[in-house]
Amino acid sequence: MSQVPSSPAKIQLHHVTHLYVSSTNAFMAVQGIDLRVEEGEFVCLVGPSGCGKTTLLSLISGLEQPTAGKVLIDGEEVRGASRKVGYMLQQDYLFNWRTIEENIFLGLDIQGIRNRETEEYALHLLNEMELSQFRHAYPSQLSGGMRQRVALVRTLACQPEILLLDEPFSALDHQTKLKLEDLIILTLRRHKKTAVLVTHDLSEAIAMGDKVYILSRNPGRISSELEVPKTISALLPFQARNHESFSELFHKVWKEMEAAIDGTK
Amino acid sequence: MEQNEINEIHRAYLRHEAKTRTFVYLSQLLLLVLFFGVWEWLARLNLINVLIFSYPSKIWALFWEKLWDGTLLPHVGMTVFETVVGFLLGTLLGTIIAIIIWWSPFLSRVLEPYLVIANSMPKVALGPLFIVGMGTGLVSIVAMACTVSVIVTTLVIYTSFKEVNENYIKVVRTFGANKQQIFRLVILPSSIPTIVSTLKVNVGLSWIGVIVGEFLVSKIGLGYLIIYGFQVFNFTLVMVALAVIAIVATLMYQAVAYLEKRLTKQFK
Repeated sequence: MSQVPSSPAKIQLHHVTHLYVSSTNAFMAVQGIDLRVEEGEFVCLVGPSGCGKTTLLSLISGLEQPTAGKVLIDGEEVRGASRKVGYMLQQDYLFNWRTIEENIFLGLDIQGIRNRETEEYALHLLNEMELSQFRHAYPSQLSGGMRQRVALVRTLACQPEILLLDEPFSALDHQTKLKLEDLIILTLRRHKKTAVLVTHDLSEAIAMGDKVYILSRNPGRISSELEVPKTISALLPFQARNHESFSELFHKVWKEMEAAIDGTK
Repeated sequence: MEQNEINEIHRAYLRHEAKTRTFVYLSQLLLLVLFFGVWEWLARLNLINVLIFSYPSKIWALFWEKLWDGTLLPHVGMTVFETVVGFLLGTLLGTIIAIIIWWSPFLSRVLEPYLVIANSMPKVALGPLFIVGMGTGLVSIVAMACTVSVIVTTLVIYTSFKEVNENYIKVVRTFGANKQQIFRLVILPSSIPTIVSTLKVNVGLSWIGVIVGEFLVSKIGLGYLIIYGFQVFNFTLVMVALAVIAIVATLMYQAVAYLEKRLTKQFK
């Protein structure tokens, strides 16, 4: 009980360890993770596949309970899916049988908060993404980038305070990905959200994040952390990538990451 | 390339397609005419036993006669009614059982071997039991039609429930959905194409159940006509009944196929 800190962070992971148990083996996905995310921060978790990135998001979102340790949001322990958390998956997973409008109202339906006000807010977000004219269209009529933007609206419509992003750009082509990165950063800043992005793409992490954590695997743990200089983190991702000190920073972190991966062999 | 050249190539393609299509239709028609022609011809020359195989003109005459004196339609109506009730009930019951075992993974593990046995069992073999238990009327026949399709429906729909992409479930779970919401918002809608396509299979299965059921007990229906014709050695009547079954069963299948197309347009 005494472990609750004096000033609660937005998200805090405290010695979190998680095991997956099946009939053939027990697999340790993450071990002894300590992580603190302040309100309004954009944090990136980078690591090779199998380092437990998605597991961490599942734990923060309350989809799974840690085997050991604690996950706290606003100082309260997470038990089950929290309304404060929105989650974006690697692909849009829009429901083909619902129109775009019905798709973005999905969360409102589930949480029983669908009314004129929340519907209008969702439609306003759709408008921000410049997709208003597709309100009554079906997902199959939209391109991949548009669909992922609809998925973002669907997540934000429930007004979560925290946004978890699980490689949301990995299924998109490069150009669409760069545009969507900027759009997400702009939207999150405008709505003052806290965000955790999981990715295996280091340059994406540096371009988007305020802080970058490098994970290593077997079992997943944090091997190093990096604060992105304000000169870069204040820019939009596309500008950040073109900033003169970007590639220097990238190479520095790249070396650390290599060392971390070699260390596990 | 100029636009009119492109149009010309497209037109040529369409012309070729139309030609092929006509050719297919003509061949199909020819096959039909040939089949009936040869049958009629063999019968007239007494090369086949007319008593057993009858022949098209005689069958047609009997069909026409029975249609006009009103003794055919009640049989058709009853069989169609039993079949429709049987396959709707079979699909509905199968879906409900599938929902129950999806809801309780424990129950699904408990029931698994019994479902396998029930599925391997030739359901029409249960006919005598139905007659003993439910009497010699409509109820037994519908029960038979329903039993033929219910287990396979359960297995197919339960499998489709389980094959729904985990990530769609994850989407609604992140919004805090409970089990009932997961089912209503994800599992059921994504399985609708499967459910409708089992309807299509069940039409055929239900026909088997109904005809066998009518063989065993009924006083009315196309299955009864076949058995009656067989017993009085009137094979022309048997052939009329078979022809009517072929036509009505095809129409019914086409109707369900059309329904499937309409209902699942949005699920692709």
